[in-house]
Amino acid sequence: MTLRRKLLLVALCTLALPVAGWLYVRQMETLLREGQAQALVASARAVARSLVVTHAPLPPGGAGWYVQQAANPITVDGYGDDWAPLTPWSQALGKRGKLLLAEDRDWLYLYVDVRSTHRTRADAADANALAADHLILQLRKGGESRRYLIASSAPGPATARPLDPAVQRFPEWIATQWQEDGSGYRVELRLPRALGLDGLGVGIYDAAAPDGDAQAADLRPLLGYSAELSHELAQLAPENVRARVLAPQGWLLARSGRLGNTAVPAGEQPGWFASLVYRSLLANQLEDAEPWTDDAPRLDVHEVNAAAGGTPATLWRQGEARGSVVLAAAVPVEQGGKVQGVLLLEQSSRAVPLLANRALLGLLATSFGVLLVAGAILLAFATRLSLRLSRLRDAAERAQANDGRLDGQMLARFPMTDAQDEIGDLARSFERLFEVVGGYTDYLRTLASKLSHELNTPLAIVKSSLDNLEHSLADRDALPPEAAPYLARARDGVARLGTLVRAMSEASRMERAIAAAEPEDVDLAEVVRGCADAYRPLAGTRSLDCLLPDGPLHLHCAPELIAQALDKLFDNALSFTPENGWMRLSLRTVGDEAEIELANQGEPLPAAMQGRLFDSLVSLRDKARPGDVPHLGLGLYVVRLVAERHHGVASARNLEDGSGVAFTLRLQGMPRQRL
Amino acid sequence: MGRSIAIVEDEPLIRANYVEALNRFGYDTRGYGSRQEASTAFAMRLPELVIIDIGLGDEPEGGFDLCRELRAKSPTLPIIFLTARDSDFDVISGLRLGADDYLSKDTSLHQLAARIAALFRRIESMKAPASSETVIEHGPLKLESERMRITWNNEEIPLTVTEFWMVHTLVRFPGHVKNRDQLMREAELVVDDATITSHIKRIRKKFIAVAPDFDAIETVHGVGYRWRP
Repeated sequence: MTLRRKLLLVALCTLALPVAGWLYVRQMETLLREGQAQALVASARAVARSLVVTHAPLPPGGAGWYVQQAANPITVDGYGDDWAPLTPWSQALGKRGKLLLAEDRDWLYLYVDVRSTHRTRADAADANALAADHLILQLRKGGESRRYLIASSAPGPATARPLDPAVQRFPEWIATQWQEDGSGYRVELRLPRALGLDGLGVGIYDAAAPDGDAQAADLRPLLGYSAELSHELAQLAPENVRARVLAPQGWLLARSGRLGNTAVPAGEQPGWFASLVYRSLLANQLEDAEPWTDDAPRLDVHEVNAAAGGTPATLWRQGEARGSVVLAAAVPVEQGGKVQGVLLLEQSSRAVPLLANRALLGLLATSFGVLLVAGAILLAFATRLSLRLSRLRDAAERAQANDGRLDGQMLARFPMTDAQDEIGDLARSFERLFEVVGGYTDYLRTLASKLSHELNTPLAIVKSSLDNLEHSLADRDALPPEAAPYLARARDGVARLGTLVRAMSEASRMERAIAAAEPEDVDLAEVVRGCADAYRPLAGTRSLDCLLPDGPLHLHCAPELIAQALDKLFDNALSFTPENGWMRLSLRTVGDEAEIELANQGEPLPAAMQGRLFDSLVSLRDKARPGDVPHLGLGLYVVRLVAERHHGVASARNLEDGSGVAFTLRLQGMPRQRL
Repeated sequence: MGRSIAIVEDEPLIRANYVEALNRFGYDTRGYGSRQEASTAFAMRLPELVIIDIGLGDEPEGGFDLCRELRAKSPTLPIIFLTARDSDFDVISGLRLGADDYLSKDTSLHQLAARIAALFRRIESMKAPASSETVIEHGPLKLESERMRITWNNEEIPLTVTEFWMVHTLVRFPGHVKNRDQLMREAELVVDDATITSHIKRIRKKFIAVAPDFDAIETVHGVGYRWRP
């Protein structure tokens, strides 16, 4: 992974910025909501207190039977079809029964559905009716009440028989409709509203599983939607708020107001994108709007239950309009420490998501911009850093390729050593390192010539001593014949040592000689031809072809050096060409350069040696046989020096057909010196 | 008593060997270990030939200084540099300072003696009239082998003994190519090819200094040199 990619990854940490901002906006939104919720609870409390203080017609607390408003006309026929819209809000009666109450302008309707598979049938008029399956209906008004027995041995109309003595205005008989099927029976009846009932009791007696009093009825006060209370509520409730008064069990008692559009101008209506952003990023804890519908007679939600327990509760839910939220606050309506009902205020709110959305969008835009800027800055920084590092690397590699010297021309300094930062430190360290390496390389380079220089003196002592010994003894004819071979061997040894010492210093002598060579204008073709002519007798059984350009090839160069380099190349080629093999010396121009190539038949070059072939003290030859002049691998090094002196290159390659190798010298004219 | 020769050489063993050998050849030889010692002795009396090592003790160029000093005293005193150094630079510097020859320590005592003899012979023959038999003439070139003297259009070319022998080798058979080995053998010199090349260059320069259009010494690349017939 490159430095730039790494730094770009690091730049990703600026993403923490929008995340932090997002958390902050959420926090802010939560705070705003809480503030709103508290305000709504406060006003709800005030309304609740006002309701109590103004003696609004609140029902007594505790359980009651809720009378729904009949939307459709109800026919008393014992069938539940016309009760269908009201059925979802049926009230449980005993273990197996369901009770539905409804009223219209004149009548109070009652519908009881009892699940019972083991029937014991009897008519209400029968004596044993109380022991058979039956219903007890109890009516109450003020302190007076009367019970009726409803039973029937067959489906169809049935008459309820009173169980208690007559009470004023309560009817003596009540007509009912009784229907049954395999799963149970249903009873439907109606009572005139004119009776002004304030309580109703219903009891179910199942003869198959008798439990308790056969004449018992569950007597509860009647609850219902009250226009009077709604009117009262409308006067107390704040504007743009939907207020509802509920019985502790959640039954709707009064209602007023509508969810208004709070002051949001049309132009600032949130778009779908903002709504989406809000919903997905900010609006958590939003409840579904489903159980909160306006016309439901009962709100069986947690908040209402909590308020019925005496604790105010608030809730945020989705609003009906797009992008809106609704805040609902439920507080208990208490009188004398007893919860009589629950006041529910609902406020539609758009300001909150709008504000939060604006803040969030602004934040996202800002942090995105910051991200871009930070990324760009880091990228630029990383680019500069990696550029500098790669310059340093290039310089180091160049220096490494040049035995620790920075360049052929010895570029004065390492790059970036003036920098004050760590890269500058690194560059300085590199520079020092390569100075040391360069010094070491130079030391190695000159070691041989220094050594040979030092060896020359003792060699001269030995040599002159041997001369002296021989002459002084020979003068007096005192040289014993048996000493002569030893003397000769000593001379031979000294001569070989001398050759060795001379070979050791040859490289440095050659370098100096090559550097001191003076260029002249010559016809290179002549030089190469002369060399080829001189080499032919030496080639022996090997053939030597010479390919020259047609015309003369003038070059400003040092012909002795070129001839010398060719000598080395030829010597080299000769020793690697098999008997009867071929060699080919060719000269041609390539651009403004002259190219001399000596190809010969032979083994291809080992790949490992190819780059180092022209280095000093590198030799491909086998170990010299005893008595041979030692081969120090200077030949091709000299060739390289000659090529470099002519601003050219020396290279070696295997021939394409694999039949041999070719050594190439590319030469440019040397610069003309001013006289 | 033979001719007096002074050897200035800081290495006592070599000095002793050379002194003894030259004495055996009949010269009156004295050795000096340092420049100061030699200068003091030369102030009293100049020898007839001086052999100087370039590096003297801790003076790496002491021999050059001594040569300059001696040359100031006597323009004709034969001076031979004898040194372990054998690079072209030293040769050139030494000869530019007016040394008459330059020998490496590889040179055998025989060669040294021959070289000394040649120098003395040249000095002797300078004093005597030229003998006509030993003169080779070739165009404007006149080579007197006895006196080891070469003139070009009657102007003397100041060659060292080594250079003289090289020219002599070339001129004896004009048109014949002499390779480096042959030149080396004739000049009784053991040096490498590069040194031969620089000797030839210096010879050409010396001729060109007298005759700017000189081109009689021809390079045959890859082989050697020849005197243009």
